[in-house]
Amino acid sequence: MFELDLRSRAPVYEQLVEKIKELIINNVLKPDQQLPAVRVLASELTINPNTIQKAYRELEHRGYIYSVPGKGSFVKPAVPGTNDARLQALENELGKIISEMLYLGVPPQEIITMLKKLLAKKEGGKLDD
Amino acid sequence: MIEIERVSKRFQETEALKEVSLSVRRGSIYGLVGSNGAGKTTLLKILAGIYKPDSGALTIDSQPVFENFPIKARTVFIPDAPYHFPNFTIRDMAHFHARLYPRWNQARFEKLGEVFNMETKRRIRTLSKGMQRQVSFWLNLSSAPDVLILDEPLDGLDPVMRKKVKNLIIQDVAERKMTVIISSHNLRDLEDICDYIGILHQGEMLLQRDLDDLKSDVHKIQIAFSGDSPPALLQDLQVLYQEKRGSVLILIARGPFKEIISRMESYHPAILDILPLTLEEIFIYEMGDRGYEIKNVLY
Repeated sequence: MFELDLRSRAPVYEQLVEKIKELIINNVLKPDQQLPAVRVLASELTINPNTIQKAYRELEHRGYIYSVPGKGSFVKPAVPGTNDARLQALENELGKIISEMLYLGVPPQEIITMLKKLLAKKEGGKLDD
Repeated sequence: MIEIERVSKRFQETEALKEVSLSVRRGSIYGLVGSNGAGKTTLLKILAGIYKPDSGALTIDSQPVFENFPIKARTVFIPDAPYHFPNFTIRDMAHFHARLYPRWNQARFEKLGEVFNMETKRRIRTLSKGMQRQVSFWLNLSSAPDVLILDEPLDGLDPVMRKKVKNLIIQDVAERKMTVIISSHNLRDLEDICDYIGILHQGEMLLQRDLDDLKSDVHKIQIAFSGDSPPALLQDLQVLYQEKRGSVLILIARGPFKEIISRMESYHPAILDILPLTLEEIFIYEMGDRGYEIKNVLY
């Protein structure tokens, strides 16, 4: 399903959380679709099942998935927009990128055009589904 | 599942273990790391019921291990130098294991033959070191242990075999909730599969924690200021190590990520980079904190 970068410094469970989140956000994993069982994913990726369990717990805590006892974990429809801390972090990231672009001499107007283009792409993608 | 409480062991004058305590949950993979001569092998041999501790208590499933056959039948120990009887073939050794371990699974032994891909009629002593180690895994995983104790297990295995063996272990952990204790100096290997880490140094347990907590608790910070660095920068910060390279200050600090980043940002640095540490770096810095450090040796 996906590959982890075992050479990366980031803890494996954080990488797992990010990857699965990405798949959910990009609609590769559809709402109410079942996530692979812990056992299966563990032997596929050769990582500790407890780590996967932990990643699933974290995703559930953040509201991306839900679990049905005895059945497994599923993708939660509609991701809640109340993730303030994460949004703040993302805003900071965006700020960093924009200041680097300004430093490299990209005119503000061009950045706005770029953003608009990217936004249009995302919305266009949604209409296609 | 496994509980060790204040276990000590000495060999004549040498105090190998000093009141070591640890506990391992069922289905967990516990990584034991430590400096050379820290007492890792002694601890593992006590766990396997080979040595008797001088004091302290050790239980697996709330039962003592030493000379306790029902527990030892479910516990498997692969030492750093596996012993096989001279002139025995793989098949002979399998018969021996089958008589020793009541849970020996012949079907599994044959199935695993596909993984290890060796003829069972070969004499073990004619095999290479790495292949002999593979035979140990093959035989011991076939007896379906509940507790697997490994001393430097992946030494001498090629990268493909390493991956295969790790995968077999993970499968047993996932399917049967097998509990694993591994000692190794190859911290990369441990990092991939362990969920709990204990660091042993000179017979004492320095720290033991969930690996992810350990990694998210220590950070490598690279920070630079356009002017001089503010004098209050390092106040109330638990710094394990610091180094100045040109105008960039490199810090290894303990503490929650968010706290550190907001503190650092309050000084308005020109550059700020915070990275999680690898297990190897954590080991080196924690040891350095205890006076066991890498010094540049000059002749």
